[in-house]
Amino acid sequence: MLKLFNIDKRYGPPERPIPVLRDVTLSVAAGDFCAILGPSGSGKSTLMNIIGLLDRPSAGQVVLDDAAVDFTSPAATARLRNLTLGFVFQAFHLMPRLTAWENVALPLLYRREDRARRKARALAMLDQVGLADRADHRPSELSGGQKQRVALARALVGHPKLILADEPTGSLDSVTAGEVMALLRDLNRRLGVTIVMVTHDRDLAARCDRRIEVLDGRIVRDTAAA
Amino acid sequence: MTSPRPYAFGVPLGEGVAEALGNLQDQRQRSVLALLGILIGTASIVAMLTIGHMAQRETLKMFKHLGVDILQIHAIPTGLGAGQVDRAAVEALSLSDPAVLAAAPLTSGRGAVTANGLGGDMGVVPSTAALPALTGMRLASGRFLGPLDDGGLVAVVGAETARKLSLPGAPLVPGGQVRIKDYLYTVVGVLAPMPYTAFDPTNFNDAVQIPLSGAGRFTPSSQPDTVLIRMRPDADVKAAGRRVSAALANPSARLQVISARDLIDGMNAQKAIHTRLLTAIGAISLLVGGIGVMNVMLMGVMERRREIGLRAAIGATPRDLQLMFLIEAVVLAFVGGVAGLAFGLAAAFVAAKASGWDFAPPLYVIGLGPGMAALVGVTFGFYPALKASRLDPIEALRAE
Repeated sequence: MLKLFNIDKRYGPPERPIPVLRDVTLSVAAGDFCAILGPSGSGKSTLMNIIGLLDRPSAGQVVLDDAAVDFTSPAATARLRNLTLGFVFQAFHLMPRLTAWENVALPLLYRREDRARRKARALAMLDQVGLADRADHRPSELSGGQKQRVALARALVGHPKLILADEPTGSLDSVTAGEVMALLRDLNRRLGVTIVMVTHDRDLAARCDRRIEVLDGRIVRDTAAA
Repeated sequence: MTSPRPYAFGVPLGEGVAEALGNLQDQRQRSVLALLGILIGTASIVAMLTIGHMAQRETLKMFKHLGVDILQIHAIPTGLGAGQVDRAAVEALSLSDPAVLAAAPLTSGRGAVTANGLGGDMGVVPSTAALPALTGMRLASGRFLGPLDDGGLVAVVGAETARKLSLPGAPLVPGGQVRIKDYLYTVVGVLAPMPYTAFDPTNFNDAVQIPLSGAGRFTPSSQPDTVLIRMRPDADVKAAGRRVSAALANPSARLQVISARDLIDGMNAQKAIHTRLLTAIGAISLLVGGIGVMNVMLMGVMERRREIGLRAAIGATPRDLQLMFLIEAVVLAFVGGVAGLAFGLAAAFVAAKASGWDFAPPLYVIGLGPGMAALVGVTFGFYPALKASRLDPIEALRAE
């Protein structure tokens, strides 16, 4: 489903490049639930941004659904993100002015779907994450866990192939974090969504099917759960 | 896999506008400040155009009863004696000059007029039977001066004069008498009220017309000092003016030629200066307003970096982001433009009432005012929109 071939990423001036990712090759199969694990500065965020088509690699190729990604057109990558990826962030990134369902429906706005259809799909997705009764609440009226579940519904609403979760429980207390983690697990099994989660929390990573450990811009270990 | 569809508008326009209104409401205070500049600019341009339009209407109205093809000749005395022209020469004009349709000689003087024991200083206008047709005057009762009245003691009084010289129960009507100096004149006609404008040689409402031939009783001569001439509509007014002046030239007077067209041209020139001045003021206000819009939009882009990053991440193309901010800028400016239109029309209304004009705004300002404001929005919203679309989504998502 997702394949990375010999990805290099360097920052800084070309004459004195600072390498962040070195020769990363990775393959994620449909239905996988994997964690990308590593200390800060290891390059895991950069890896995440490249998988999320938000950053372009200095070298190498990203293949999504058997098609190589063309990073030269921002509009094309935006469309690809909209159609195949769902994002969950540590800071939720919900729009305060919009209600829960409007936040969930936002990705569909860029597909030019009409409002009635967007609302129906958003409400269905809120139901999937157990927040059907909060559809008309604004983010300020929701708890942290509820906010992250709204964000999760937003990531899922366009039926993406892959959910990218960047420290999804980083802003939550341990009980709520556990709930959100359980929900991700459940969605992965029930809906068959592929999930790639970035975390530095080993306990959380332990609950995923597969752990990819990154250090100094390289994948140092790739283990499947027993 | 689904290939990205090519598309121009990711977001339907209606939804884009609704979004923009919501976002602008979020930053209400700042939006209002930006609106103010646009509002003042639009209001001044709308007011200027409307007032100009009404002034022109009023100008034309002024010449309506006389017509724009009227030429006036005034004899300005060159020496100690009265300035005058030769009546016979005046009356020959319509025969000798093809551009002249009709010519009426008159003298506009003043004198003590009494009747019924009432009276005072009023206009006394020695004139001929040619005058009524040239001025558009109408009778309330009686008749005009005729060719056979020459030298006779008959008078036609204006509406205002008739009112001044009437006692309750004893109105001044044809058959009554008025005293001018030591002569008793029989009233043969009373005029209906008529417009009096700056272009009329005298106020006929407040005057008594008597036959020109008898004018020697009050003035040094019975020759006229003013001529009203109706030209052919297609005549070259300037050339005709020169010909008429030459025909009437005499040593007693310097002839001043005033044409309605000259006056209108003069007023238009005056108006053009005002228009340019007010347009400049309006343009400067719009420019300042535009900069205000740009400022608000740039601050919005800075403050909403996280939103921009998120939208980019979930699939907004650079073009979607550009459009989002551009629509906001246009909506902002357009709202200011509509408010400016209302204020501009209100100002013009007040100006019209203060000048005693009819309030008649030209229809095109309704489209022009807000349209211009929207154009300002596009122009000054472009840079902030471009800036928003060029943000790096990763950086934007990390912004505080």
